[in-house]
Amino acid sequence: MHFRDIILFSMQASTASRGRTILMLLAMAIGVSSVILLISLGDSARRYVIDQFASLGTNLLIVLPGRSETTGGPPPLLGETPRDLTLDDAIALTQSSVIRRVAPIVAGSAPVSVRQLEREMIILGSSAELLEVRRLSMNQGNFLPPGDLRRGENVCVIGSGGKQELFGNQKALGQWVRIGDRRFRVIGVLAQIGVSLGEDMSEVVIIPVAVAQSLFNTESLFRIVVEATSEDAIARAKEAVLSIIRSRHEGEDDITVITQDAVLATFNKIFKALTMTVGGIAAISLVVAGIMIMNIMLVAVSNRRAEIGLLKALGAPRHQIMGLFLTESALLSIAGAVLGFLLAYGTMELLAGFFPEYSLALALWSPFIAASLALGTGIVFGVMPAKRAAMLEPALALSRR
Amino acid sequence: MHVQDFIQLTVNAVRSQRMRSFLTALGIAVGIGSVVLLTSLGEGLHRFMLAEFTQFGTNLIGINPGKVTTHGVSGALISNVRPLSIEDAQALKRIPQVVDVVSVVQGNAAVEAGKRQRRTTIYGIDPAAPEVFKLQVASGRFLPDDPPRAARSFAVLGSKVREELFGSGQALGERIRIGSERFRVIGSMESKGQLLGFDLDDTVWIPTAKALAMFNRESLMEIDVLYEEGSSADEVASQIRKILIARHGSEDFTITTQEKMLEVLGKILNILTLAVGGLGGISLLVGGVGILTIMTIAVNERTNEIGLLRALGSEKNQILGLFLGEAIVLASIGGLAGLLLGVGGAWLLGFLVPALPTHTSWTYLLAAEMLAAAVGLLAGVLPARRAAALNPVDALRSE
Amino acid sequence: MIRLQQIQRVFQVGEEEVHALRNVDFSADKGEYIAIMGPSGSGKSTLLNIIGLLDRPDGGTYELDSIMTTTLNDREQAHVRRHKIGFVFQFFHLVPRLTAEQNVELPLVLAGVDKDERHLRVRETLGAFGIGDRARHRPDQLSGGQRQRVAIARATIMKPSVILADEPTGNLDRASGNDVVHILEELNRQAITLIMVTHDPELGERAKRRIKMVDGGIEEDTGS
Ligand SMILES: Nc1ncnc2c1ncn2[C@@H]1O[C@H](COP(=O)(O)OP(=O)(O)OP(=O)(O)O)[C@@H](O)[C@H]1O
Ligand SMILES: [Mg+2]
Repeated sequence: MHFRDIILFSMQASTASRGRTILMLLAMAIGVSSVILLISLGDSARRYVIDQFASLGTNLLIVLPGRSETTGGPPPLLGETPRDLTLDDAIALTQSSVIRRVAPIVAGSAPVSVRQLEREMIILGSSAELLEVRRLSMNQGNFLPPGDLRRGENVCVIGSGGKQELFGNQKALGQWVRIGDRRFRVIGVLAQIGVSLGEDMSEVVIIPVAVAQSLFNTESLFRIVVEATSEDAIARAKEAVLSIIRSRHEGEDDITVITQDAVLATFNKIFKALTMTVGGIAAISLVVAGIMIMNIMLVAVSNRRAEIGLLKALGAPRHQIMGLFLTESALLSIAGAVLGFLLAYGTMELLAGFFPEYSLALALWSPFIAASLALGTGIVFGVMPAKRAAMLEPALALSRR
Repeated sequence: MHVQDFIQLTVNAVRSQRMRSFLTALGIAVGIGSVVLLTSLGEGLHRFMLAEFTQFGTNLIGINPGKVTTHGVSGALISNVRPLSIEDAQALKRIPQVVDVVSVVQGNAAVEAGKRQRRTTIYGIDPAAPEVFKLQVASGRFLPDDPPRAARSFAVLGSKVREELFGSGQALGERIRIGSERFRVIGSMESKGQLLGFDLDDTVWIPTAKALAMFNRESLMEIDVLYEEGSSADEVASQIRKILIARHGSEDFTITTQEKMLEVLGKILNILTLAVGGLGGISLLVGGVGILTIMTIAVNERTNEIGLLRALGSEKNQILGLFLGEAIVLASIGGLAGLLLGVGGAWLLGFLVPALPTHTSWTYLLAAEMLAAAVGLLAGVLPARRAAALNPVDALRSE
Repeated sequence: MIRLQQIQRVFQVGEEEVHALRNVDFSADKGEYIAIMGPSGSGKSTLLNIIGLLDRPDGGTYELDSIMTTTLNDREQAHVRRHKIGFVFQFFHLVPRLTAEQNVELPLVLAGVDKDERHLRVRETLGAFGIGDRARHRPDQLSGGQRQRVAIARATIMKPSVILADEPTGNLDRASGNDVVHILEELNRQAITLIMVTHDPELGERAKRRIKMVDGGIEEDTGS
């Protein structure tokens, strides 16, 4: 029997009972589309987070004071340490050839006031390098001026949100604000950026690191952000940071270095596992759809007993009958998969329309997933009914008993 | 028609097509099973988290420096122009409902005992900590009730640190060095295990003032207040707020009541459980379509029988009832099987992966079974109405 | 051509054994016209099914065109059925969703014959049986007589050497029944062996050889 004829025959058979075929397609489509949709949502979330990370800058290393004996687990919250990271540590790091930029950071919160208006805000003490390291861009004015890190003027750069809160629609550039007990001149306003990973840069006030240290009365740094010269240099940069700080800290390894790519890899892994789990749960519905296909094919076999007997009388051997019925269930599930794919596509487009900022899209490989899942389901659950059809006794099938 | 006969007829119809009924019910069973299993996992996680959080007791209020919620990093770790001080903590003791107050500074340092050294977490803390945090002293005693600013250099070891530094030897009375200061070990704690990633056993407890000096900082990271059982968290919180504002001049701190935190946590976990159960519900939906299909087929095949029943004088409603009944019976049997499947799966999972918390609650089981019956009812309505609407003459003529 | 020796067929019905055929010996030469008659339940259909390789005997041997069929496997038996045997049934057994044309085409499709040749042969055969104008009708749009003609056309399209007809007129009125029998006899005149089960004595009389079955055995055979 020609392949074409097998397909034609099976198609005719399944379109003959339209109602049940449509319901079967519906079941299959629900299963396939939920698998594709959930996997794609997981994948979109993963890409979103990774993009967000990348927008924080590339080839970054974060140097934290303190070190924990217990490795693994969440990024360590180390708290205070007896020996701090100091500004001199940060300056020493700039000597390394594999390190391109170094941005020391002092973080704190303090009341910020303009005339009568007062807001408690996050104050970041840092250097001019922060602009490049964190991929920030200016809306108005300039970022912190470069120069000796140990010195600094009383100037500040404010985020777009902070500007709105403090100045509303009035001009901010050149104005004076009071932070704690000091006065600062606004020299720049950051361009608006989306919220990235909860680090909302639009609400911060950035001042020179040395000024921040005296404002908060501390010698220590909150962390140091280091940018390596290239992606390949990240590992060497980590070594360099460790050895420079070790030599400055009397041979003690008392810092923790987190590389951006390690964090990325962890996130990647977590999201992939999550995506697979969710997709797996949705795949249970495919099993149910498979059971349904099996059920309906069994009904079809018992309803079409006479036809099967006839085919045998006309000289169709068992394997041919088996092939016909398997083809039928495979066709049904593929059609269901196509429908499911379209359903998923439509839903995704709709979602993407509602939430444009997350760049939602179907995973590239989802058509393949849909096709293989459907074919797999159709064949696995089609075997039993097809076998039953093939094993029917023709004489019995033809008699009206 | 008697109920008994009605049931008899329905059960007969289900039984006459064993394989078909079995597979239809199996579809529902898999759906209900996954709903039950997934909600059990969610509920298990819920209880696990609650237990983790409440092991420190529920009548706690935490105060952190800084009025910061947006930046992700809590105010505790970053510098502040207006620190929380030991005196602030002492002042809170005057509130009548307050049982005890503990000030906390946390840091990381190397601890040396003889030749052994270990980097570990250092907690600067008040003598009341065991009571407030429900910690047990294993040997010796906890930090003595010295005046806060003039506490002696005593240290209490977490169980893991004790073992790492002293092995099976005697720790009590030994001297250790933390950073550049020397402390005398006066006690060690029972193992408390991990709490959300923090290892409370890999810890050394020292007086708060000593920790502030060691880490060269002015501000506490947190003040924890234990209040009397039965008094209102909100009221205590507002008194705390009043006292601290009086001392600082403005509200430059953040108060978190355990009660509110648990409430938020519970809400999040409930949503999680629902979402996961909803995912399982997709399978149930497909199972429902399965019932719809099979009932449609059944109505088609039994057109003749329907005609006969009508000819014998049965009303439309009876036909409707018969087919609806069949769908519901199928779904309920499937539902019951699904309950077994889900409960068994949860049990097996708990057995194979003991770390995975599962909890199957009766309300969920009952809800799942009702859900199954409802699915049957919904899926049965269309075919049953078609059966009831059949014209008896046509139905009889059909072959 | 057809040689059955000591053929037995026993059905297990619950606890009981039903002997549908008891040690039947039967043979037929090429081109014979045989009518099988006898009371209901005497084993006529069972015998026909075994000759058509639709059923396997529980004992005895069956030789068809000097092939020992009893030792063939499923695939080989199917092959023999396809090329040597045509069936005509009392209930026509047309596939309801296929048109007359497609029903007749079915054996060719199963055998993997190419499309062009298929169409040619189907058209030719339908024309020969006088239902060329009904080619695109489905079975439920045809009369009983027309349906049986389609079934006969289907049985002959592979040019079998034997046609087995089990009460081919059983569901037809006398006039269309006679029509059908005439068509079958015409085929027989073209040297196709025709074995027909019938309850109609008048039809039985027309056959050159008549076999009467009673209780699973051949009681009377005008040919031997
Ligand atoms: N599949 C079967 N299972 C059980 N018994 C069977 C089966 N097929 C046939 N029989 C029995 O074998 C006997 C012969 O049946 P068969 O169908 O050959 O009779 P028949 O002569 O064709 O009768 P009729 O004229 O009514 O068609 C009968 O007693 C019948 O009950
Ligand atoms: Mg018969």
